[in-house]
Amino acid sequence: MATTTPTLRPLSCWKTLLRQSSMQKVATRSLTTYFKPKPIDPPKRPHHKLKVYPPPPSAKAAFKEPIKEVTASQLAILDPTGGRTTLFSKANTEAAKVGDILLVRLKNGDPFAGVCINIRRRGVDSGILLRNELTRVGVEMWFKIYSPNVEGIEVVQRKEKRARRARLTYMRKPKHDVGSVQNIVLAYQRTRGALRGNVEGGPVGHENKGGKRKIRAKGKGKK
Amino acid sequence: MAPKLPTSWVALPPSFLLPESFLPLITTRGVKYGWSTANHRSKHNRFNQETAGLPRLTASPAAALERKAKTLPLRTGVLGIKKGMTALYDSETGVRTPCTVVQLDRVQVVSHKTREQHGYFAVQMGAGWKHDSNVTKPLLGHFTSQGVSPKRFVSEFRVKDESGLLKVGQLVGPEWFLEGQFVDTRSNCRGMGFEGGMKRHGFKGQGASHGNSKSHRLMGSSGPSQGGGSRVHPGKRMPGNMGGQQVTVQNLKVLKVDAEKGILVLNGCIAGPKGAVVKIQDAIKKPWPVIPGGGLEEVKETLQELAAA
Repeated sequence: MATTTPTLRPLSCWKTLLRQSSMQKVATRSLTTYFKPKPIDPPKRPHHKLKVYPPPPSAKAAFKEPIKEVTASQLAILDPTGGRTTLFSKANTEAAKVGDILLVRLKNGDPFAGVCINIRRRGVDSGILLRNELTRVGVEMWFKIYSPNVEGIEVVQRKEKRARRARLTYMRKPKHDVGSVQNIVLAYQRTRGALRGNVEGGPVGHENKGGKRKIRAKGKGKK
Repeated sequence: MAPKLPTSWVALPPSFLLPESFLPLITTRGVKYGWSTANHRSKHNRFNQETAGLPRLTASPAAALERKAKTLPLRTGVLGIKKGMTALYDSETGVRTPCTVVQLDRVQVVSHKTREQHGYFAVQMGAGWKHDSNVTKPLLGHFTSQGVSPKRFVSEFRVKDESGLLKVGQLVGPEWFLEGQFVDTRSNCRGMGFEGGMKRHGFKGQGASHGNSKSHRLMGSSGPSQGGGSRVHPGKRMPGNMGGQQVTVQNLKVLKVDAEKGILVLNGCIAGPKGAVVKIQDAIKKPWPVIPGGGLEEVKETLQELAAA
């Protein structure tokens, strides 16, 4: 404890003062404020959001199936009434199916008839495979159903029981081969000719192919 | 021993006294080729300039451009997507033409390559659209700087000169091609993966019987043994990766053009599966198509802009 200042020895107060100040010095030294350096951040670059331009209008989004578009535009020319399409449509119960005997009339060439053993559905490129026997030789012919060369396709005879195969290739085997269907086709043509004669009152002639063609052409909507 | 003739009268006088024709110098008469016939060069030149009197270099960038000038198309091409094949019928003649349908989707000029900057002229085309979060920032910056939306497919088409550089941002539809003109297509063919010699190169394979054991589809021998070098020659056809490389089909006729639907119908087949990216450009083996009106105006616009810039 610091003693009171002795009045008799005035200079002695210096010692106390000095001691006190030195004590204070220690106190102040211990009280030094802790230096906190400011955190040096790297200069922040402005977040550069690139401008993104919107895409132009897309034809692809509007017309997603170009093949169908091309097919539709072709069918509008080749089959305007849609008769050929319905003849082979899967939705049509009356459609021609494999196993039926079909007659294909051509613009340039003799008509060909035979058992349909395959229907290949590929839009405007669809085709049918007919099998017949000419001069005792088995003959198969592919016909494109929308080809302008095909004037008309007629169903001569339907298969009594639905074929349970998509492709009747087994009919090529001797065991299953039906052989020539020429007689059935001739009989059919005779009845058609007779019908035509009754309707129009003209001369009945089963050999008159031109007349038949005309009727079928109207019926199928093909010229 | 015969007396030795004095050589003094046979010996020639000093050379500076002789006329030039006597001097056994470089042969000049009858020389048709060789360095001595080259044009006289006044002084040594570091660069082989035309002034050096030598033939022009055939291996310079300028010479390369000159060589390609005849076969480089005047116009840019487009990027399409192969959609599949079908057939067209001519209702008059009944002729069936197999064809490929290609659809163009937002085909746009992205940027140019120029002789000064890149050494050749080309147009960079983009097709389709990609969300910007799927595009790397450098590429996005490229699109942004050119003012076009991010593109899914980007490819460049070389053109002959400056006049073929279409304006950046220009949309190009199938009407860029005329019905009846011829084009070349480039696309990657179907990839077959690792295939054996029979499928890849059409080797015959080996017999099914006669003692053959477990080597019916093998390539057989790959060369002679000792005496033939005991090595396999470079380029020996062997099993390996097949397909997936670019295939060019030249001179395909443009059968139909539908600008509204973006459809281009080409004659015949082109390489690749459905959905393949197809590069279509004017055929180089046919005369360049004469484009009425529109195309020329666009080119003029481009030229004006270039002049202004």
